[in-house]
Amino acid sequence: MAVALTTVTMARMKVAMLRHAFRGTRAQTAGTGAVLGALLAAGTIYLAFTDSDLLAAGYAVWLLGWILGPIFMGGGDETLRPEYFSLLGLSPRRLAAGLLVSAFVGVAPLVSLTALLGLLVAGVRLGVANALVAVPAMALQLAVFVLLSKVSVAVVGLALRTRPGAIVSGLLNGAILAALGQIWVFFMLFGQTGVPAVVWYLPSGWGLLAVRGEWWALGALALLALLLLGAWAALLSRRAGAARPSTRGRRPMRPATANGAIVAKELRTWSRDLVRNHQLTFALSYGVCFAASPLVLGWDGMLPYAGPIFIVMAAAMTSNLYGTDGTALWLTLMTPSASDVRGRQLAWLSAHAPVAIVLTVAFTAVTGGPWPLILALLPALLGGATGLVPLVSAYGLVPGTDPHRRAGNPLRTSEDDGGLTGLAYLMLVLVLLTAVPAGLVAIWYGWAGVAVGVVTGVLCHWGFGLLAERRLRSQGPELLDVMRTGRKPQATMKFRFEQLSKTHKTIAWWCFGFGAIPLVPQGIIAAVFVANGMLRHTWFLATYMPPGLRYPVAAAFVVLGLAMYGTGVWVVRPRSSR
Amino acid sequence: MPRILAQTTAMTFSLATPEHIMTPALEISGLTKRFGDKLAVDAIDLSVPQGSFFGLVGQNGAGKTTTLSMAVGLLRPDDGSARIFGEDVWAAPERAKAMVGVLPDGLAMPERLTGREVLTYLGLLRGLDKEVVARRAEDLLAVLELDGVDKTLVIEYSTGMRKKIGLATALLHAPRLLVLDEPFEAVDPVSAATIKTILRGFVAGGGSIVLSSHVMALVEQLCDRVAVIDKGTVAAAGTLDEVRGANSLEETFVELVGEQDNGLKELSWLSH
Repeated sequence: MAVALTTVTMARMKVAMLRHAFRGTRAQTAGTGAVLGALLAAGTIYLAFTDSDLLAAGYAVWLLGWILGPIFMGGGDETLRPEYFSLLGLSPRRLAAGLLVSAFVGVAPLVSLTALLGLLVAGVRLGVANALVAVPAMALQLAVFVLLSKVSVAVVGLALRTRPGAIVSGLLNGAILAALGQIWVFFMLFGQTGVPAVVWYLPSGWGLLAVRGEWWALGALALLALLLLGAWAALLSRRAGAARPSTRGRRPMRPATANGAIVAKELRTWSRDLVRNHQLTFALSYGVCFAASPLVLGWDGMLPYAGPIFIVMAAAMTSNLYGTDGTALWLTLMTPSASDVRGRQLAWLSAHAPVAIVLTVAFTAVTGGPWPLILALLPALLGGATGLVPLVSAYGLVPGTDPHRRAGNPLRTSEDDGGLTGLAYLMLVLVLLTAVPAGLVAIWYGWAGVAVGVVTGVLCHWGFGLLAERRLRSQGPELLDVMRTGRKPQATMKFRFEQLSKTHKTIAWWCFGFGAIPLVPQGIIAAVFVANGMLRHTWFLATYMPPGLRYPVAAAFVVLGLAMYGTGVWVVRPRSSR
Repeated sequence: MPRILAQTTAMTFSLATPEHIMTPALEISGLTKRFGDKLAVDAIDLSVPQGSFFGLVGQNGAGKTTTLSMAVGLLRPDDGSARIFGEDVWAAPERAKAMVGVLPDGLAMPERLTGREVLTYLGLLRGLDKEVVARRAEDLLAVLELDGVDKTLVIEYSTGMRKKIGLATALLHAPRLLVLDEPFEAVDPVSAATIKTILRGFVAGGGSIVLSSHVMALVEQLCDRVAVIDKGTVAAAGTLDEVRGANSLEETFVELVGEQDNGLKELSWLSH
């Protein structure tokens, strides 16, 4: 009874907190996540209608998502922190049970439960008894997903209390994620075609086994859930007491300039913050393992890319550079004469470039090339990363929890893990893009690419850094406010839109809503079709025109699309104070 | 200890020059801030004369922190302006911010540095000479009794120690104005006495201080000027005697901001 009361209370508390949290931009992130998740869930259910091997593989992917996702994406859902209840004198088991039930409240469990409807579909296709078994199987399977996620986060959290733990877990996590990314290598190695049988025997496959008539699997799921609950309860009681940062090797600060001081501060943070230790070793391990895994097939062609991959991954890991420092930004605001961005860029470079250069040169020497391409990518990516890290973190700032206020889960640097994930992916793509010019020139013209790489690298470092600096100068107080309150200021934007007259609103809706149609399909894509001689193509108007009018029509659509966007922007543009 | 204290005071705080006597150390005019529907600060005007020890008192949520944040350039006001020794905080931030030392309430520091490293870092950011920074850091750590924890990172500091290192960063560049948000909160009595001595010495040396607090006794003890902030406006301002009249500051304060019909209630279920 008491347990039931605790769990119900905790679940209601979580609902209340989510209602407050899912406002403004976070509601958008959550909404985007829910839509993507629903698509994946629908795909999984679809597999239940086709091939049960694929369905088992699908659930294995969901399982890995639950285990690995939180480790890379901000420590998992922790709306209810265990610390909130530490004064209530709950037994660890009761606390874990309560937290478990509240962990089922949220977008991710709901989406996963939808995906697990595939079990019901599979059951119905087999018979009545199988369909009946599917219902408890769904619940137990979801419990196992959630609990495995909680236990893995707790284990990594414990590891992150010591430097060796942080480094080892970084190496392991990087290796696992790289192996998943290169799964084809292992398929080829084992001559495997189709789905490996192992997916049936992972805990993610047990629900499906039970539905298919192997009833023991249902008991095994229940037992596993109980064991995991016990393990989590034990880990929760060990989490009390915040992580102690290491206190060894204090060397005095030697620099004599403001820039030098920022570099020294950042480098100390890199070496002393165990979460940053973890991120750095993770990126390193990911780069090496990803590039080296084809070696098991006897192919070393990917090896030279270990360094470049490391740079891209490390940039993604640090995409919320300013957010992780929290409100310490006030010191930057109070010392406007010093340039924080330049110092941080230098520090990023000195923490990552030596590793990247050694990796790249050593591995490329092993394979004997392709030197021009690799040496073009290296400076381009390094410059791109040092430019984009401050820029993206200053523009896309995800408010973090101040380091001294963080709870027992060291991976949890922000309440908005959806935002962190989005920012990391954005950084991956943007950093890759900065190397495209150098890469293309190197492929086409060889050594000229190196010069291009150096030029674009320097330009990105300088230019993006300048933009980041300007952003900090002009919007510094607003960024500090975001970090202090944890909310992005969408109020002014919304306010502005609300102020528009009804006609203006309608015009803006039409322009933003439909501007893409003339611009992209009827304009750009139609022009591409015309250029490739693909005529009379479905609804692309330009392809139906007589020869002399095709390009002008496509161009006119491009102009129309741009004009619609321009009108939209003009209608909602900020007016000077009225 | 007193010897070091005297040294610091003499070294750190310069006297105000005569031509600046007329300019207020801090002048706030019409500062306004709205958070959503709530008007947090409603067109506040305040003037802090040079050499004064100015206390800002008010209930929780009255708008003290918001006002001080806007006054030093950490929060952009919706309207109004703030000038430090005549320099506009928003138009000439470099000159204005060089003259002020700030202790904000509850903001983060460079957490993975030791106290000494924080001071070194900030001193260099402020453009001070390396040797000067080292000497001042040594003095400040000794006076604030933080020199015994030289291997401890700021993230491991207690709340009171965080206040003290915050105060050290505010004093480090020998500013002419100190803006301190709740400087005595969570500070033990011995350290509080030290801090009071430092602050009095700072004012005696020609510096000006604005501090916010909701401990009336403390404000009465330290400040010569007071402003009472209530619901985002100035309920009363002037010299300490002008504001409190014949009563104590606490009585005046309750009279000014307390709800008339809302007498003191007791929690009857607490008695056994």
